[in-house]
Amino acid sequence: MTNSIDEIKYADCIFVIGSNTTLAHPLVATRIFQARDNGARLIVADPRKIQLASFADLYVRQRLGTDVALINGMMHVILKNGWHDEAFIGERTENFEELKKVVEKYTPEKSSEVTGISPEDITRMAEYYAKAPRSTILYAMGITQHTTGVDNVKSLANLSMLTGNVGKESTGVNPLRGQNNVQGACDMGGLPNVYPGYQAVNAVDIRTKFEKAWKVRLSDKPGLTLTDLFPAILEGKVKALVVMGENPLVSDPDSHHVEKALRALEFLAVIDIFMTPTAEIAHVVLPAASFAEKDGTFTNTERRVQRIRKAIDPPGEARQDWVIIQEISNRVGYQMNYSSPEEIQNEIASLTPSYGGITYDRLGGEGLCWPCPDKEHPGTKFLHKDRFARGRGLFHGIEYIPPAESPDDDYPFWLTTGRVFVHYHTGTMTRNSPSLDQEMREGYLEVNPADASAIGLKDGDKAKIASRRGEIISRIFITERVDKGTVFMSFHFLEARANVLTNPALDPIAKIPEYKVCAVRVEKWE
Amino acid sequence: MQLKHVLTICPYCGCGCGIYLEVLDGEIIRTIPSKTSPVNQGRLCIKGWSAHEFVVSPKRLKRPYLRKQEKLHEASWDEVLDFTASRLREIREKHGPDSIAFLASAKCTNEENYLLQKLARAAIGTNNIDHCARL
Amino acid sequence: MKETIIEKVKDLFEDSRIEAFLGLKEENGQIGPYLFTDPKDLEGFSLGDKEWPGDKRYPLSKILIALAQKYPENRFGILVRGCDERALNELFKWNQLNEEHVVMVGFPCPQELAEACECPKPYPESLVVGEKVKGIKSKKVEVILNMGMEGRLKYWTERFSRCIKCYGCRNVCPVCFCNECELANDDLIPSGEIPPENPIFHLVRAAHMAGRCIDCGLCEEACPVGIPLRTLYKKVADIVDSEFGYRPGYQKDQKSPFNILGERPED
Repeated sequence: MTNSIDEIKYADCIFVIGSNTTLAHPLVATRIFQARDNGARLIVADPRKIQLASFADLYVRQRLGTDVALINGMMHVILKNGWHDEAFIGERTENFEELKKVVEKYTPEKSSEVTGISPEDITRMAEYYAKAPRSTILYAMGITQHTTGVDNVKSLANLSMLTGNVGKESTGVNPLRGQNNVQGACDMGGLPNVYPGYQAVNAVDIRTKFEKAWKVRLSDKPGLTLTDLFPAILEGKVKALVVMGENPLVSDPDSHHVEKALRALEFLAVIDIFMTPTAEIAHVVLPAASFAEKDGTFTNTERRVQRIRKAIDPPGEARQDWVIIQEISNRVGYQMNYSSPEEIQNEIASLTPSYGGITYDRLGGEGLCWPCPDKEHPGTKFLHKDRFARGRGLFHGIEYIPPAESPDDDYPFWLTTGRVFVHYHTGTMTRNSPSLDQEMREGYLEVNPADASAIGLKDGDKAKIASRRGEIISRIFITERVDKGTVFMSFHFLEARANVLTNPALDPIAKIPEYKVCAVRVEKWE
Repeated sequence: MQLKHVLTICPYCGCGCGIYLEVLDGEIIRTIPSKTSPVNQGRLCIKGWSAHEFVVSPKRLKRPYLRKQEKLHEASWDEVLDFTASRLREIREKHGPDSIAFLASAKCTNEENYLLQKLARAAIGTNNIDHCARL
Repeated sequence: MKETIIEKVKDLFEDSRIEAFLGLKEENGQIGPYLFTDPKDLEGFSLGDKEWPGDKRYPLSKILIALAQKYPENRFGILVRGCDERALNELFKWNQLNEEHVVMVGFPCPQELAEACECPKPYPESLVVGEKVKGIKSKKVEVILNMGMEGRLKYWTERFSRCIKCYGCRNVCPVCFCNECELANDDLIPSGEIPPENPIFHLVRAAHMAGRCIDCGLCEEACPVGIPLRTLYKKVADIVDSEFGYRPGYQKDQKSPFNILGERPED
């Protein structure tokens, strides 16, 4: 997030797009309700009529995968009416002409044709967002899990810069991260092209710094992304995989293909707290400690680094992950001799400029938001205050590109995926929690009443859902939450694995799969 | 008699809510939201309130496992660690460091993720490390 | 005030009147529940005030239940405000705690907090320090009553529709101790959906608060979506009071009219 969570409650306009906030990020939703009670306007854009929609001053239901056309349409209206922030554009940004040229074509009428939202609503969205003194954008995987994920995010950045709604309190472009330490995993260099702190592996000075600190020669060749990994395994380029606390067999798109790849490995090691489906096919399974059984830090979606503390011992012979990694490293022949997570954090601080001032003794109380470059630095509440990381903010002229797969005669429905309020990711944790399991024991497919009656389905019936990649059986739930022609399914349930169906088509830059859009056929199953 | 309230962070979404795990004689019995946390200020969602439940699940892994004759069998730590290290060394020698890949975790700590990428980069010699941020 | 209370707790330990004291402590920059088993630990002792009075209150009486059930022979001291004492009084009546094994160390809330809470009795009987503060009659209930039938329906429908079914109102409630909770009864309230069926979820809980709710307001503070639960339950308490002449937690020896209800009929 460019801004912090608590700032949201002081915003004048909140634009939520592609985030089912009340169930996926409830404590962010808290601020949305607080802001609304203070008189803020709420705009919700989502293909599903989510809970937040009923509280919106304006709710719009865009067709799946049409966000770029929607945002371009809003920007067209803003420019045409002179609601843009000329001073901010002049002082803080560049490449404005390119944006103008592209956006000029996206009249509300053209945008409406693509998105299915009326030109009047597009105009109102633009007006609400642009005219409020402080407008903030909240988004989640509904924006990013597309073949145009990067385009979608850049479009939101365009919108915020166009109206000067970034680099100020209670504004910004705020991705809500789905997992408790997904921010930290990125920050720590759990990415194929960067060391901790987003320092490029192919920059000579950076590599030299790490070589000196780690006393070893390092590779300057960026590695494989997760989504390129499975094809590489099947091509025989990758022979061994070590998985820590992930369950790719259920979480990754086109599950059948993933399973084939994992089984083709010469060696698969899984470090986890449960015997996940991925662990079941591994060569070794290493029992790890849960969050309650270790010390360390997590970094939340607002870049806040916070301490976790050991409450109990791990069960049986399970060990803390850092101990397991250190043991493997020592046996491979590279010595690691850490005595505690704190010692590791001190090394992180010494090599990662944005974490430079973060030490355990400063993390009592409220934690610290990075960038925090030195021991005296108080942390950073919101980013881009006086300048952007690259200097001037760069506008991008972005054209709308349709999703990789659209419905046709064989697969006539749009399928989109997401979460339910009691479960999380592949269900490894939530389905092993009695109170959560009791609330929902099985997944279901949401179907619009009109579609259900056309297929001859009643509430609770079982349906066969098929895509070009596979088929699954699931109960159906009839609801107006989904539009006619669209069905929705959560991805938590192994026995009705939505990711058997999803399309592994990737965003060309971020390599994120298009979980949010694919084409399926729905039939009654008996 | 020992009752502790251990201040920590919820393991679910990216909000990062502050919680107290209530530990009675070494057993977690409850999760309570921290009122001082700047994120949740004394509130939680249903997942947060249940954060301790999976921790004490009887299905938790308690022993290392090693595959022998197509099946996973319980094994000792030394056995699985030695086996893991020797397989990684053999594969690296035969096919080069880029034939090995690592998946870091959005549920593990910063320190653990840091160490795993260091294992990949420094100990094995590959940048083949990613995690499921995209998923 | 805090110093006097600390001295009182030390005395309880010294006189062997208690084996442990359940209170609050500031540690790692945050205030949370803490079981003191040694008077030496009392450094960092907190009354639960940080940015404003009483902003860091926790359901200590609820925490005491689990502890006392495991250690029924031990005697515990506990830090109480007016509301905590009312909760304990109810828990004694419902046999959740043994009164003879609980020593209350009470202190009054400041006037400012009494007003924010609209608390009719912002002090406990077991005061060890400070003055009894004037009780406040609720205006928030009046405000909602003045909305008229349709206005009220609209207001509560909007508020209940926000519910994300976190169960925080129940989980934090010092007088919610049922083993089986009707809110999780699938026949009554279909599970797996948010918001939970409107208004049944919240009305079931409100009905269960009748004769129980001691008006501490922890539920409302725990609600992530701003449902004014305390105001709702204040109205419930007013109804019970006018029908049965009973206000939970006030009279130690007055049996709750609901003590006789809830027995399962024989099949």
